[in-house]
Amino acid sequence: MAKEVLYLKLERNVEVQQDEVRMKDLGKYTCRDQKILDRIKAMKVMTFHPEEDGGRKVISVMHLIELLSEEFPNLDVENIGETEVVVERVCTAKYKNARQTVKICFVSCICFFGAAFTIIAFHNDISIIRVFDRIYELVAGQKPDGVTVLEVSYSIGLAVGIIAFFNHIGGRRLTKDPTPIEVEMRVYEDQVNQALAETADREGKTMDVS
Amino acid sequence: MIQQIFLAVLGVSAGILVSAGVFTVLLSVGLVPRFAGKTHTGRHIFLYEEMVVLGTLTGNVFSILGESLDLGGLVREKMLFGANTPLIWNAASVITLSLFGVFSGIFVGCLALAIAEMLDSIPILTRRIGFRHGLGIMVLFVALGKLAGSLIYFALHFYETGL
Repeated sequence: MAKEVLYLKLERNVEVQQDEVRMKDLGKYTCRDQKILDRIKAMKVMTFHPEEDGGRKVISVMHLIELLSEEFPNLDVENIGETEVVVERVCTAKYKNARQTVKICFVSCICFFGAAFTIIAFHNDISIIRVFDRIYELVAGQKPDGVTVLEVSYSIGLAVGIIAFFNHIGGRRLTKDPTPIEVEMRVYEDQVNQALAETADREGKTMDVS
Repeated sequence: MIQQIFLAVLGVSAGILVSAGVFTVLLSVGLVPRFAGKTHTGRHIFLYEEMVVLGTLTGNVFSILGESLDLGGLVREKMLFGANTPLIWNAASVITLSLFGVFSGIFVGCLALAIAEMLDSIPILTRRIGFRHGLGIMVLFVALGKLAGSLIYFALHFYETGL
């Protein structure tokens, strides 16, 4: 009997809604034999015990291969995805309550006031009013009185620059590219997942073969 | 007229470049993704970006046009809220100022440590002095030191040295 080949592509990070984690939650699989494929997808990998492991577990692909080869001795497993997957147990209700709204308001406030403070501190740092006065004097040959065209146009330029940089205004995107913070968010998520996998590995908490 | 046009072009160019520069710094330390990650609200990153944009524009208006735009003085002079205007406005300014203080403080605190972290100072230090535990205590003491330094700066008029 010829060996069947199972190709599996592990995800980097998955969220599960129930305590039981099955093979199909962890990644994508393909195999020529549909029956084997269905059985593999339904295989149980682990069960979460919320009080013990804090709702997060790192599973090594080696552990999965071990499980699979016990169940299907004639199966070749080819992993073309990640070598570790971070599984997180989430409660769907958690995402819709008032605490979430409070957190969003909190972060929004930090972003708003923090950005305001940063730009004021920056202007203060470079003594922008004195710089503008000097430029005005240089060009116009007289001392400025009150707000000049320079200050107004600088403000307009700042707004244009920010909107071009962040690529959206009032909830509408200018182009289809992801915004810089969205890109940073993905980078940050990748780093967090990598750190989680490595920490679990170092502490020996990964579900792995010995 | 030509002078005014020249100044306008200069101003717009300066504004565009400054915004690019300031935001590159803010982004490269990755503060906003971290806030979103910590609070598990990554789906609202769009809103956070809008708040950064709005905050910058507000801060810009107050710091560039601040001297000509005497909002508080205007309210007090015109008695916009009736006879109790001074009282209402005092309360409103205390609330606004404390909000501004707390949230900008949090932001600057995060920024300071994020920059320290970007330079890998904490991992290098822990490796050099070779300790494995007590990182939390170290962070706590960094925070206490910042608090003490900030209070001393304002209380003992250290800012006068920078003038």
